[in-house]
Amino acid sequence: MAEIFDRDTLLDLTVNVIPLGIILFFVAAFVLIDPFGGLDFYGRVLQMGLLAFPLVALAILTYVSGKAIAGDEKRSKVFFQGQATIEGSPEKHEVEEAIEAEAAGETDVEDPYGGDADEDESEVDPDADDNDDNDDESDVDADDESDESDESDADEDGEVDADEK
Amino acid sequence: MEITGQLLLTVLMGAFLLGVAAFLARVEDWRSYTPLGAGGGAVGESGYGHSEKPAGLIRWFTTVDHKDIGLLYGAYATVAFVVGGLMVMLMRAELTTPETAVLGSATFYNSLLTSHGITMLFLFGTPIIAAFSNYLIPLVIGADDMAFPRINAIAFWLLPPGALLIWAGFFPLPDVIPAQTAWTMYTPLSAGVGNGNQMNVGVDLMLLGLHLTGVSATMGAINFIATIFTERAEEVTWANLDIFSWTILTQSGLILFAFPLLGSALVMLLLDRNFATTFFAVEGGGPILWQHLFWFFGHPEVYILVLPPMGIVSYVLPRFSGRKLFGFKFVVYSTLAIGVLSFGVWAHHMFATGIDPRLRASFMAVSLAIAIPSAVKTFNWITTMWNGKLRLTTPMLFCIGFVSNFIIGGVTGVFLASIPVDLVLHDTYYVVGHFHYIVMGAITFAGMAGIYYWFPLVTGRWYQRRLAKAHFWLWMIGTNVTFFAMVLLGYGGMPRRYATYLPQFATLHQIASLGAFLLLVGGIIWIYNVAVSWIEGPRVQSGDPWRLDETDLNTAEWDWFEAKRETSLAATDGGEDVTADGGQEIEDDTAE
Repeated sequence: MAEIFDRDTLLDLTVNVIPLGIILFFVAAFVLIDPFGGLDFYGRVLQMGLLAFPLVALAILTYVSGKAIAGDEKRSKVFFQGQATIEGSPEKHEVEEAIEAEAAGETDVEDPYGGDADEDESEVDPDADDNDDNDDESDVDADDESDESDESDADEDGEVDADEK
Repeated sequence: MEITGQLLLTVLMGAFLLGVAAFLARVEDWRSYTPLGAGGGAVGESGYGHSEKPAGLIRWFTTVDHKDIGLLYGAYATVAFVVGGLMVMLMRAELTTPETAVLGSATFYNSLLTSHGITMLFLFGTPIIAAFSNYLIPLVIGADDMAFPRINAIAFWLLPPGALLIWAGFFPLPDVIPAQTAWTMYTPLSAGVGNGNQMNVGVDLMLLGLHLTGVSATMGAINFIATIFTERAEEVTWANLDIFSWTILTQSGLILFAFPLLGSALVMLLLDRNFATTFFAVEGGGPILWQHLFWFFGHPEVYILVLPPMGIVSYVLPRFSGRKLFGFKFVVYSTLAIGVLSFGVWAHHMFATGIDPRLRASFMAVSLAIAIPSAVKTFNWITTMWNGKLRLTTPMLFCIGFVSNFIIGGVTGVFLASIPVDLVLHDTYYVVGHFHYIVMGAITFAGMAGIYYWFPLVTGRWYQRRLAKAHFWLWMIGTNVTFFAMVLLGYGGMPRRYATYLPQFATLHQIASLGAFLLLVGGIIWIYNVAVSWIEGPRVQSGDPWRLDETDLNTAEWDWFEAKRETSLAATDGGEDVTADGGQEIEDDTAE
C-alpha cells in the first residue's frame, strides 16, 4: 500500500485533490454559514448528498486508478505512451536516465532509442533547432513527391515543417 | 378463402424475406477465398487476412474488421456533418434579416434548429469519435480486433436507420412533419400537449431514431470497455495505456451510465405521447422531471463528446512539439475526474427553472470544481508546446486551434456555472456561443486534427497541404467570427432559438452569418481535399511519414503502418502498385 502510493504517485494524484478540495470548501461553507437557512432534514440530506456523492465517487476512482497505474508501474516495464508494443522501444526510466546523465554533462551518453544522443527531445534549443529543421526538410518524403504532381494545388502535398515556422 | 389485400401483402412479405435469405446465403458464398489480384478487385490492404474479404459493396455490408467499421463510421459522420452543416447554413441565411424573409416560415426554422442540433451531436459527434476509436484503439493497444467484432458491426448498422428516422420529417411523406422541439425535447412541447403541431408522428419517428443511436452508442461502449480491459497486449499495462485509449475508456463508462437513461426517458416520453401515461404531465411526474432525466444524460453527453477529442489532441500535439506529453498522468487522472464529476452537475442547465435555490448551490459547487481538470489539461498542452520544436503542420494547427478555442469556450462556460451570472445569460446567444466554441471550435477541430494526422495511415496517401491550411484558417477565423458574435449577441440580450429578432441585433447576426459562410467554404475545401487526395494524392513513401522517429515519438499505429507497407510490397513482388484502402486498384501517375 505505502509502496504503491509513494511520493511521486501522491503528487500525480494532487490533480484530483483540487476539485475534491473545492467541493469540501462548499460543504464547509454550507454547514458553517448556512446561507439559506431553514432546510429541513430531507433538504439538508439532498443538499449535502449532491456534494458528497461526487466527492466520494471521485475519491474512490482516484484511489482505484492510482493503485492500478502506480501498481503496474512497480510491477512491469514502463514505456512512453503508445510505444509499449513497438519492438526495441526503450523503457521510460532508461530515457530519463540518459537525459539526466546528459544534463549532468556526461559526454558518452548512449541514446536509448539508438540514435544520436544530441537529438534527445529534452534538450531543446529552439534557435539552434531552426537550422536543423531546414536541413531536414530535404529528407521529407512528401517533398520528393511534390515535384511530380501535376496539379498546382498538389505541389506541396504532404506536410513539411520548417518553412512554416 | 377469399384473397384479401392483407393476405396478398403477407405472401409478398414472405416472398421478400425468402429473397433476402437467399441473397444473404449467396453473400456467404461470395466470402469464399479470393486470391489477391485475381478477381478480388476490391480487396483492401487494411489488415491481415485481407485477401479473404469479399468484393465491392458486399465487403462493406458484411465487414467485422474494426478498421473497415471505423471507416464506415467516418463516412457516416461525414454525411451527417454535411447535412447538419447545410441545415445551419439555411438558418444563418434566415438570420441575416430580422424577419423570416429568407425561409418564409418560422416553423421550418424551428425544424432545422432541432435537426441541426440532434444531427451534429448524435449523428456526427459520437460517430466521428467512434471512427477514430474503432480504427485506432486495437492497433494502439496491440489487440487483434475489438472484443466483440460482430456487435461492433451491429452497433454501426443501427445508425443509418436512426438517421433516416431522425430526418424522416424532412422527407416527402404525407402527414409527417419534422420535429420542432429543439434537441433538448423539453416537455410539455415534446409531449404533444397543447394546440401546437408536435403531436405529429414526425416527432415519434425522431424519438425512435434517437433511441436507436443510443442503443448503438451503448453497444459500442460495452465493446470498448471489454476491448481495453481484456484485449490489451501484455506490455500495455495500465501504466502504458496511451491517453487516447484512456479517454475512450472513460467516455465508454459515461455512455454506459448515461445513454440507457436517455433511452428510458425517451420510452417514457413516447408512452406519454401515444399511450396516455403521465410521466411528464403536470398531474403526473411534471415537466421538470423530463429536464432532470434529460440533463442527467445530457451533461455527461457533453463530456462523452469532448473527452476523446481531448485524447486526440493529447496524443497528436506532442508529436509536433518534438517532446513527450507534459504531465501525462495528470491528464489521465483529470480525465477520470471529469468522468465522475460530470454526473454531479446536471442541474446547472436548470438554474432558471425555479428549483430550490439551496439545492442549486450544490450544483454550482460541483460545476465550479469540474472546471479544474479541464484547466489542468489546457496547461499541460501549453506546457508541452513551451520551448518545444514546433512543427506547424495541419494537424498541429488544428490542435493549437483546439486549445485556443477551448480556452474561450471553457472560460465562457465557467461564468455560466455561477448561478447569478447564469440567471442573466440563460437562454441567450451567450450560451449558444459558449457551447459552439466547444463543439465546433474544440471537438470538430480535434476531429480534423485526427483526420489529417492519420490520413496517410488510412489511405497511404498525402492530402493537399495548401488546401488543408486554407481549410484551417477559414475555420479558425470563421469559428471565432461566428461564435464570438454570438457571445456578444448574448450580452445584448438576444434570446436563443428564435427565427426573428429585433432590428438592433441585425449587424451582429450578419457578422455571425458571414463567419458561418467562411466555415462553409472551409468545409467544402475539406471534403474536396479528402476525396481527391484519397483517390489520387501522392503516395506516402515511408512508414514514418511524419518523421516521428527523429524525435523518438513513434507510436504503435505507425509501427503497424510500417509493417503493413513492408508486407504489402513483399506481396506484390516489391515496388508495384498496391491497392488502396477503398478497395480499388489505383494507377499512380504522380508519385512513381
